[in-house]
This record gives sequence, structure tokens and C-alpha cells, in this order.
Amino acid sequence: MDGITLQHYLFLAALLFSLGVFGVLVRRNALVVFMCVELMLNASNLTFLAFARDAGMDLGHLPALFVIAVAAAEASIGLAIIIAVFRSRGTVNVDDIRTMRL
Amino acid sequence: MTTFLFYLFAILTVVAAAGVIAARSPIYSAMSLVGTFFCLAGIYVLLLAHTIAVLQVLVYAGAIMVLFLFVIMLLSLGEAVAPSRVTFPRVVGGIASAGLFAALVIAARPFLPLGGQPPPSFGTLQSIGAQLYTQWLAPFEAVSLLLLVAMVGAVVVAKSRV
Amino acid sequence: MLALDFLNAPYPWQPQAIADLLWVIIALPLAGAFLCGVLGKFMGRANTSFLACATVAGSFLLSAIAVFAVGTRSTQFISPGSGAPVPWALWLDLGRWFGAGDFAAHYGFVVDRLSGALLLVITGIGFLIHLYSTEYMEHDEGYWRYFAYLNLFVAMMLTLVMADNLVLLFVGWEGVGLCSYLLIGFWYQDTEKAFAGRKAFITNRIGDFGFLIGMILLALTLQATEAMGRAGPGRGNFTDLGPAKAWVAAMHEQGPLNVEVLRGWASRMPPDQGEKTRGVMTLNTVITEGSLKGKTFGHVLTAVLLLMLLGAAGKSAQIPLYVWLPDAMAGPTPVSALIHAATMVTAGVYLFCRLSFLLVLSPTAMAWVAMIGAVTAVWAALIAFAQDDIKKVLAYSTVSQLGFMFMGVGVGVWWAAALHLVTHAFFKACLFLGAGSVMHGNADETDIQRLGGLRKEMPWTWATFGISTLAITGIVPLSGFFSKDAILHGAHTLELTGFPHLGHVVYGLGLFGALCTAFYMTRLYVLTFEGKRAADARVPHAHESGFPMVFVLVVLAVFSVLGIAWGLPGVVVGPRGEKVALLEGYFAPVLLMAEDLGSRYGLMKHEHASPLLGFVIAWAIALVGGAGAWIVYRHWLPARAGQPLPPWIAVPWRWARHKFYVDELYNFLVIRPFTALSNVLYKVVDAGLIDTVAVGGTAGALRKVGGWLRYTQTGNAQNYATVMAVGLLVSICVVLTWVLR
Repeated sequence: MDGITLQHYLFLAALLFSLGVFGVLVRRNALVVFMCVELMLNASNLTFLAFARDAGMDLGHLPALFVIAVAAAEASIGLAIIIAVFRSRGTVNVDDIRTMRL
Repeated sequence: MTTFLFYLFAILTVVAAAGVIAARSPIYSAMSLVGTFFCLAGIYVLLLAHTIAVLQVLVYAGAIMVLFLFVIMLLSLGEAVAPSRVTFPRVVGGIASAGLFAALVIAARPFLPLGGQPPPSFGTLQSIGAQLYTQWLAPFEAVSLLLLVAMVGAVVVAKSRV
Repeated sequence: MLALDFLNAPYPWQPQAIADLLWVIIALPLAGAFLCGVLGKFMGRANTSFLACATVAGSFLLSAIAVFAVGTRSTQFISPGSGAPVPWALWLDLGRWFGAGDFAAHYGFVVDRLSGALLLVITGIGFLIHLYSTEYMEHDEGYWRYFAYLNLFVAMMLTLVMADNLVLLFVGWEGVGLCSYLLIGFWYQDTEKAFAGRKAFITNRIGDFGFLIGMILLALTLQATEAMGRAGPGRGNFTDLGPAKAWVAAMHEQGPLNVEVLRGWASRMPPDQGEKTRGVMTLNTVITEGSLKGKTFGHVLTAVLLLMLLGAAGKSAQIPLYVWLPDAMAGPTPVSALIHAATMVTAGVYLFCRLSFLLVLSPTAMAWVAMIGAVTAVWAALIAFAQDDIKKVLAYSTVSQLGFMFMGVGVGVWWAAALHLVTHAFFKACLFLGAGSVMHGNADETDIQRLGGLRKEMPWTWATFGISTLAITGIVPLSGFFSKDAILHGAHTLELTGFPHLGHVVYGLGLFGALCTAFYMTRLYVLTFEGKRAADARVPHAHESGFPMVFVLVVLAVFSVLGIAWGLPGVVVGPRGEKVALLEGYFAPVLLMAEDLGSRYGLMKHEHASPLLGFVIAWAIALVGGAGAWIVYRHWLPARAGQPLPPWIAVPWRWARHKFYVDELYNFLVIRPFTALSNVLYKVVDAGLIDTVAVGGTAGALRKVGGWLRYTQTGNAQNYATVMAVGLLVSICVVLTWVLR
């Protein structure tokens, strides 16, 4: 385990998280945005597991487990919504879906 | 050995993640995401989180990404699209994500090297299961309820209005 | 010569029972005002008039009973200020009104001989005027308003007179000012009349301001006295232990502005007399506590009295605040008779009589009062020479006579000022009501150049007006002579410390004023009643007024004659054993203290001289003035009809006719700058700064900012996510730098 400190894992998680945020804010396709959200969730999972390893308590694996389960649920609902939106509007381009405008 | 493995998986993860956000076609993004999940599973193993690594591959890469690909295929969204225009909110978004990265790195700095050798039962299915079905039973059941709701919701939302 | 034994007879009723009912005297007209105002329209003319007259009549009866009670020595109350009994007075303390820190004020009513006499005048003449008004206002639509205001006025004036402390007096003071405004501007649809009312109120207000500041200073002075008395040696007269204990207790209980407390203060506060006053506080002691530090008691007292003079000048129409009284003739004539002849304008004189013991401690203030009175008397008389409106002449005559009363107060013959107050009330009211009768019978004609020859057509009015004119000019044996002459005699014999020639100056001005009074009053009488009817009269024949009006005129004229009894000198034995006039002896328990203080401390003295020479001189002056006017207006001017007046008469005449341009001067000096300032504040500050910039600007700015912020609502979810990410970044930075330091 020498050489690889906790910092390395956290660094990697931060990088993944930032890439995910970037993707959410920049990409136009709703599906890709969704994928970047999954990326962010994974980054947080990585953080959980790193700290669990550092503390020597595998209690930290449980939140990661729940995150995976919740991500699955969220993915199903989100994709169903995208299907519904596509059906009514014909596009999944976020720039063209402005229903929240005043 | 561990160092080499870590850097290998780490670089692969980052490349794949970059692929997710940079790919032209949603199909390519989805495939890159699958690659990211696999590499992450490897890193999880390095962290002795065996159960989670397996579950990552099974659930994330195996189920969720399949779902994604089904939807892409269903809606015929596989064509390449032009890259996004550079608008002011997008620039701000880029700056914000860079800033977030910096902030998180700074936040993570003062930590000490990894702790010592954990017990051999660390991260095994047995250990996880024991905690999950005793102390964390209520959240477990809640999550299963959540999955039921999600299933029903998905069916309701996505079915066509006939 | 009335025997005065009845004054010392045993009193059949319990004085305390009368004292407990003193508040009813005020409550009756107050209730009448309320009922007439609220229900008057429904009650009908007859009922409203009856109610209004009845309440005042009830007050008169109660006042008469109280005054009768006050005539026996056994009626007395224990003065809070000294613990000693105050004889010939009734006191009712209804409890504490308010208190703030060291200051307190009570609802207290005192009827002593001075306020008793005034009570009778106010309620008696008030009742007569209510009666007169029933016929005078019979064609007016707003009769219910009129009687309500009139009743309210009577109630307020009674409060002023019966108050036992200056704060309650001020309530009545302001109340009569308010009623005066309401009644002057009674026909408010005419803007001229409404402006007259406004002018009266504002001028009164300026006086009230002075009065208020004076009261505050007085309260501070007394509190400083008490604080210094507590502080230690050298304060023998006001320390808590010892004879001043009752006074200190009263000051805390009744408040510093209670008249008895002030009396106690005055009795203990001598001017510096060298050896005799070592170890006690004197008028020359420098105040060391409180906000008046660094000034002597005497200086502060003089300032207080001068400020109260300002207030009295506002209320009693003296220089410089007399300008409202002539304009006040815009109101109904009975109002002029009641308010501006008999009662409200006498409030200033009453105040100074009440506080005579304070006035005498400050020779400077007395000199000011006397001089203002004398100058006003002459000034107003000169203006009255050239006025053609019958009511304006009488108004200026009132100002002039009030000047005489102020002269009396200033030279130290307070009983004479009070006597003149009473006699003037009668004959001036009679004159005003006679003028009202003339107007009533001549289609409201007020220009005396268009009247004339009413002697045959309005006999009752002629007779009463003639008697009152004789009374005011001071012809023996009518009442006005003795009162005015007592004042002049007091001026002539005055020796005031520090002002050696004041008495003679005032006497000279007073004689000149009496001469002028005789002249212009005779002019008024001649032009109105004598001679032939003017060619441009409004109606060919005047008709005499009805019974209510004539009855009142006759009653008032009778009292103008009978008033001689009160002023005839040498009738009774006074407190010091010598023979004095009836009213001088009557008022002695109230007003004697001031004279005592004056002579004890060597501040003021009247030499004893026979008044006979003064009588003869005054009588001669009155005859000369009257005869002069008669000759001028009956013989000289008609003989020169058509020729212009010689310039040495015409130029002063024009000045007098224009009231010496005082109103124009005030307009230029005071009104215009104020109006300009108001305009600036209105246009620039209120409409500009506050409305446009602050209120409108705030709204406009918010609207602008809202308009800009509207563009953040794009409807694009990614934009919202961007904002959330930025927010997250900021909070992480905050946490990193600040919370986890």
C-alpha cells in the first residue's frame, strides 16, 4: 500500500466529479447529461469506499450499496421521463425544452 | 504492484470519463461510461471493497447501462450530433466545474496516508450482508420499496397515451 | 354703600359639599356642547337653544352658590404648599392626571374670590349671550353647531379659571383658543371669514408657545430649587427637614406647577438682602443643579414671566400679537361680545393676577407688562380713530382696554385690573350686543358712515349703547370711571425698584389713552345714533330688536351702572386697617400676598396719596375727549361737508385707517418667508425628494432590477443547474476558508 495514499483516491474522485459536473452543464443531449450524473454518483461512491478503507470500517460500503440501488431507480424513472418528453416534443435537446420558463 | 494497478485503472477511468463527456454520439458516450464503470470496479477491488465492485459491474454496467442503450436504440438517438455552442452559461459552467475540482482537491489535502491493514473479512459479502440484514434492515426495505415505486412510475410515465 | 355683614354671616351649607360639586360647573356646559353638537340637528332649534341656555344657567347657579360659600371665612382648605389653611376658598382635587418622573399634574379646581368673581362673569354674561343668540341666530342654518361651540367655549373658559395648576389652566387656555377659531370661522364657506379664524388661531398659537416654554422653565426652576435644597448647607429655606417639609412633599404630590406650590416657593424665595439672607437661597443664587445651571433664579424667573407675557399677549391681544382681534369680527356678533370682550381675552389678565406673587418678584417683568399695556392702549386707540366699521372700532377699543388692564397688572394694582376686567366685561358686552342689534335692524350694515339717526328708530338700543359709551369713557358716576382711575392712580403712585420713572411714563400714556378712548367712542356714538340718517343707508327705516336681545342689553347696561359700587374707594376697611374700595377688600385674601412681598422686599411700593386729584384730572380728560368728538362730528365736519381734510389731519388719518400697516409688515417679515419656506419644503422636499426620489425612485429601481433579473428565468434546466453548481462552489469555498479554519 505504500505510495498510494488516501489523497490519490480522493483526487481521482474529485476529477471524476468535476468531469461529471462539466458534462451536466455543457452537453445538449439529455441522455448524455444523465450519464454524466451517473458519473458524479460513482465519484461519490469512490469517496465513500476510500474513507471506509482508511478507517478500516466496512460500514462505509453500505452507503455505496444504497447509492447504487437508488441510482438504478433514478435511472429508470429518468429514462421514462425522457421517453415521454421525446414522445411529446420530438427532441431530447435540452436547449429546446424550456417548459420552466415564466 | 498496487501502485501500478492503481495508476493503470485511474488513467483508464479518466480517459473513459473524458470520452463520456466528449463523444459525439450518445452511443459512444454510453460505451465510454461502461468502460468507466469497469475501471472503477477495479479500483474498488484495490480498496478491498469486493462486494461493491461486483455489484458495480452487475448492476451499473450490466443493468443500468443496458437500460440506457435500450432507450437510445428505442428513440434512435444514435446519430452523431454537432458539438454544443459555446454560450455564456456554458462558459460559466466550465469555470464552475474547474473551480469545484480545485476546491475539492484543496479540501482533500490535509489527510494522512492510508491506515494499516484491515481485517481479512473487510468488505466481504459476509460482512456486508451481516450488517445489512441486521442493523440496516429498515433502509434496505425502504430501498426495495423505492425500487418498486420506480418500476411502477417508469411504466406509468413511459407508456403511450392510447 | 352696601353693608358687608352678610359676608361674615355663618354659612348654611357645608362648604365641603359644595367643593365636591365644583366639577359639575364645568361638566354642565361640556355635556351641553356634546349634546347640541351630536343631537342638535334632530332636536330642533327651540330645544337646542333651550338646552344650551339651560346648561349655562345651571353653571351660573352653582357658581353663585360657590361664590357665596367663599364669602365666609370658615370656608377654607388646607393648602398643600404650606400646610396652612387658605381661607375664603374651596378646593377639589380629583386625583392625579399624569406624572412623568419628578413632574405631576392633578385635576384640581379652586374657587377663591378671584376665580369666583370671574366664574360669575363668565357664566352670567355667557348665559345672557346665549339668550341673545337665540334671536340673533334665528335664521342661521348651523344653529346647533353654534350653540355647541359656544357651550364648549364656556366649559373651557371655566376650566381655565378654576384650574388649580398651570397645566390644567393651559388646557382651558388652548380650549378657548380652539373655540375662538371655530366660532370666528363659523361661516366657513366664506374664505375671508375662514382666514380670519385661521389668523386668530395661529397668532394665539405663537403666544401659547411662549406660555408653554415659560411653564416648562418654571417647573425646571422649582425642581432645581428642590434639588439644591436637598444638597446641603446654605439652603436653609428649602431643606426637607424643617419648615419646607410640607412644601417639598406638595411638590412631589401635586407637581411643581400647582398654584399653591408656586405660592409656597414665592413666599420662601427672597431677593438677596445681604446679611439677612445668608444661609438661604435667594433670587440671586446661581442654580447649580439640572439644566438651568449657571443662571440665577431671578433671571430665570424674569424669563419665565416674559414668556408668559408673550402668551398673555397672544390671548389678550396686546402688542405684538393683537392683529387677530380686529379680524375676529368676522364671526357672529354675540361671539365677539362673549369671547372677544368679556372672557377669552381676559385670560391673560387673569393669569397674571393669579401669579401676581411671582410677578412682583421680578420688577423687570412688571415694567415690561406695564409698558406693553400702556403702549398697546395708546396704539389701538389711535387706530380706532379712523375705523368706519362699527365692530372694528369696538375691537380696537377692546385691545386698548386690555392694555389698561395690563397696565394695572404691571404697576401692581391687581385688584384694579380685576375690577376693570369685570366692569369692562359688562359695558363692552353691552356695546357689542348693541352693535349687533344695530346690524340686526339695519340689514347687517356695519359701516357707521352709512348709519345715523338711529336715536329715534331704535330707542332701547340707543339708550343702552349710550350708557355703555359713558361707562367706557369714564364719566362719573358710571363703573368704568372708578376702575380705570384706580389703575391710573396705581400707576401714578408706583415706586418700582430699578425703574424710577416707570410710574409716571405709564400714567402719562394712560391719560392719553383715556383721552383717545373718550374721543373715538363718542365719535362712534355720534355717527351711529345722532344726526340724520345717511343718504346711502341700506334700509330706509331701522326696526328695534326683539325682546330677548333688548332684555339682555338692558341687563348689561344696568350692571354697567351698578358696577360703581365695586370700585368706589374708601368703602370698606381693608386688611391693613385703612379704607379701601369694596373689591379691593374682597380680593385681598388672594392678591394681598403679592403686595406684601413687594413691600417686604422693597421691590415695589405705592405711596399713599389722595386719589381725589387724580379723579378730577381723569374726569376732565374724559370730558374734553368726549366734547371734542361731539364738536368735530356734529358741527365741524358737517359744516365742512365736501371739502377735503387738511393734510396735517389727512395723512395720519390714512395711516390710522390702514392700522399703521402692521398687518402688511407682519406679512412681509413673517408670513412671506414662512410661505416661501413652506413652498420649498413642499415642492422640493416633499414632492421632489420624498415622493419622487425616495418613494418613486425605490419603486422604479426595484422595477428595473426586477426587469434585469427576469432574464435569469430562461426555462433552460441547464442554466439552473449552472447556477446551482456555482452556488455549491461558493459554499464549499466558504466552508473551507471560514468554518474549517
